Amino acid sequence: MQIKKFLKPIEPIFNKGLDRVGSIIHAHKKVNFLFGALFGAFDGLLRSPKETAQSPPFIRNNYDVKRFMGAVLVALVIGWVLPAIYFYGWQCVISKLLVSFIIGVFVVDVLWAIIAREDHISEGGFVSCLLVPAILPPQSPLWLVGLGAAAAILFRNILGGVGYNLVNPALFSRLFLTVCFPALLVTGYQTPFTGMPDLHTFRYGLDAVTHATPLTAFKTNGEVASYLSLLFGTASGSLGETCRLALILTGLWLIKIKVVNWRLPVSYLGSVFAISVFFSLTMGKAVAPPIFQILSGGLILGAFFMATDPITTTYSQKAKWIYGAGCGFITVLLRDFTTLSEGAMYAILLMNLVAVPIQSLIVRTRYRR
Amino acid sequence: MLRKKEIPGFKGGFNLLDTYPLRFFNIIEKVSSDTTPGIFEFPPATQKIEHVVVNLCPTEPWALPNWAIFGHRVNVFFNKLKEIRDRFFPAVQYCIALNNKDIETIAAARNFAGSEERVRVFPLDAKYPQDDSVVLSKVVLGVDINFGQEAMSRGIFIMDAQTVSAIYDSCISGNKVDSRFIAVSGTGLKENELVQVQLGTPVEKVLSDRVIEGGKYRVFLNGPLRGKEITDLSYRVNWTINNIVVLREQDYKVMFPLFKSEELMFTTNVHGEVRRCVYCNFCDNICPVDLEPALYYHSYQRGERHKARLYNLERCIECGLCSFVCPSKLELLKIIRECK
Ligand code: SF4
Ligand code: SF4
Repeated sequence: MQIKKFLKPIEPIFNKGLDRVGSIIHAHKKVNFLFGALFGAFDGLLRSPKETAQSPPFIRNNYDVKRFMGAVLVALVIGWVLPAIYFYGWQCVISKLLVSFIIGVFVVDVLWAIIAREDHISEGGFVSCLLVPAILPPQSPLWLVGLGAAAAILFRNILGGVGYNLVNPALFSRLFLTVCFPALLVTGYQTPFTGMPDLHTFRYGLDAVTHATPLTAFKTNGEVASYLSLLFGTASGSLGETCRLALILTGLWLIKIKVVNWRLPVSYLGSVFAISVFFSLTMGKAVAPPIFQILSGGLILGAFFMATDPITTTYSQKAKWIYGAGCGFITVLLRDFTTLSEGAMYAILLMNLVAVPIQSLIVRTRYRR
Repeated sequence: MLRKKEIPGFKGGFNLLDTYPLRFFNIIEKVSSDTTPGIFEFPPATQKIEHVVVNLCPTEPWALPNWAIFGHRVNVFFNKLKEIRDRFFPAVQYCIALNNKDIETIAAARNFAGSEERVRVFPLDAKYPQDDSVVLSKVVLGVDINFGQEAMSRGIFIMDAQTVSAIYDSCISGNKVDSRFIAVSGTGLKENELVQVQLGTPVEKVLSDRVIEGGKYRVFLNGPLRGKEITDLSYRVNWTINNIVVLREQDYKVMFPLFKSEELMFTTNVHGEVRRCVYCNFCDNICPVDLEPALYYHSYQRGERHKARLYNLERCIECGLCSFVCPSKLELLKIIRECK
C-alpha cells in the first residue's frame, strides 16, 4: 500500500518517458537494430504487456514465464548466495556474480540478440549465470567464471535459445571448463568460515585452502564427514552447493509454489538413497553410505535446481519419474565405481540427452491403440 | 449417504470462484424487449430419459448464482422439483449436483431425497469445469459422453435451477415464461447486477447505462472461458444465455503491474509475453480430462497436425483452462480447435 502511494505520482512521468523512448527507437531502423531488444527487456520488467486475448479463453492467468524465472532467482539467492557470502566472504561471491552476469547476460546475450536479431532477451540467462559460479570451486579465478558464463549462454543460444536447449547450459559450461582446465577445478576449494564474522572474514572468508571435498576425501581414505557439517555447509565444496539446509528449504518453497515439479527431486533423491542402500548392504564399507551420498557434493543443488530445469526434462509426468530415477542411478554408479568423485553433474547431463527418447517412448506407450 | 472420503471429483480443474470473487447486487430489474418476447419451451425429449441431473453447482463466478432463482426459499424450489418429477419423470434416476460449501441447499436436497433410492445427492468441489456436461456426467453417473455429443442422446437430461423453475411455471402452473435472469458482470461495468430480461431483448438494451463510460470493453456471452464474443450488440437474448460478461479491454501498458494484479486480473490482457513452451506441466495438471495439451502445441509447431489427433485430442472438452494457465501464453485452445 505504502509503495503504491509512493509510486503513483511518478508513474505517468515514467510511462510517457518510456513511450517516447520506445517510439524513437522503433522509428530509427538502425537504433532499433542495436537497442530494440535491450529496451524491450527493460520495458517488459517495468510495464505490463499490451497484448489482449484474441481467441478464447478471453481471460488469462496473470502468471507468466517472468514470474516463474523470478521465483527461481529468489530461491537461488536465498539458497546459495547468502550462505556463500557468510562462509566465503562477500568479496569472493559478489565479484563472481558480477562477472558472470556482465559477461553472460549483458555481453554475450545482448550481442547475440543484436546479431541474430532476436526481439527480446530471455530471463533464463539470469538463472544460468547465477548457477555458473555456484558449481565452480570458491577460489576459481574470475576469468574462469566469466568464460563459464559466456560458454553457457553462447551454447544455449546456438541450440536455439530458451525452449530448445537440450541440456542444462550451466552444467554444460562446467563440463566444458572441466575438459579445458581440469587442474583448476579440482583445486581451489576453501575451508568455509564458521563462527561470528568480523569485518575481515565477512569480506574475505578464511584464507585456508584445502584441496579435498568430502567426496574426494572419502575416495582417497574412506573418511566420512559429519552429516551436520554437510547439512549446514561447514564442509568444503563448490561455492553454491555447501549449505544444503538452505537449498532444501528454498527447493521446498519452489515445489510449494509449483515452479519445481516435486516428482523430480523425490525420484532423484529417493533413487540415490535406495540404490546406495543396496550397494552398502551388498558391498559394505567400499561404497559411500546412503545419507552421506545424499548430503555430499552437488546432489542437493542438482536435484532441486538443475535436474528440475523444466526445458531439459521430459514433458510427461510419468517420464519424469524415470528421468529422476535414471539421474540417481547414474550418480551413484559414477560415484561408487569410477575414478570420478562427483557424478551428479554428469548424471544430469546424460539424462538431459536421454530425456527425448524417454519422452517419446512414454508418449507412444500411453497413446497406443 | 456419502462419506467424506467418497466425495467424487475429477483430476485437474481450477477454482475460479476463489480467484475471481464477484459480488452481485441484489437488484433485479426487468428489461423488456421491444418486440414480442420469445417463450420458453420444455426441451423436447429425443430419447428415452434414464437419468435426470439437476446441476445446482455453477463453477464460474460470473455465472448466474443459485440464490437468484431460490430467492432464499430453498424448500419451495425442491417442492417444485418434486412436482416435476412426479408429473414428467416418475421412474428415472435423479442426481442432484451441489456445491459442497452450500450447506443449506445440501440439507434441503437431502431432505428432498429422503430415503428414496433413485434420488442421489452429490456435494461436489466447485472447481471449473465441474458443471460441464461431459465432466458432470462422468463424475455423477460414471458415463462417458463425447465432447459435442448431446447428453440427451445418452438418455441424460441435465437441467439447471432456472430451467427447473421455468418448467414448473410453464408446464405445471400454466404461465407463459417469457423472461429469464441473466447475470451481468465484469470490469467493463459500473456494477455487477442480476437482470431479468425478456427473451428477444437485444444485448445492447441490457447493457445500456451499465457499461463504464469512456473506455473500451468487449462483450462475452456465457463467460469469457467457454463463451463467445459478440461484436454486434443487437444480438437477441435467448434461453441459452446464462450470463453476459463485459471486460475492460486492457490494451495499453501499465507501470509496475506487480503491484496492480488485482485491478489488471479480470481484463482481457494476456499478462505476459508469448514464449516457447517451457515444459512446465501446468497445462496437463489442470486439464480436467487428463490430456497433455503441450503435445498438441509441439505437433502443431512442427507442422504435423495429423499427429496431434493421435493423442486423444477428441476427448478435449474445450474448457480453455490450458490456455488460461499457460505461462508462455500459447494459444493452446486455438491450436486444439485447428487440429481437430
Ligand atoms: S481445453 Fe481441452 S486440452 Fe485444454 S484443459 Fe480443457 S479439456 Fe484439457
Ligand atoms: S502450460 Fe504452456 S509452457 Fe507449460 S507445458 Fe503447457 S504449453 Fe508448455
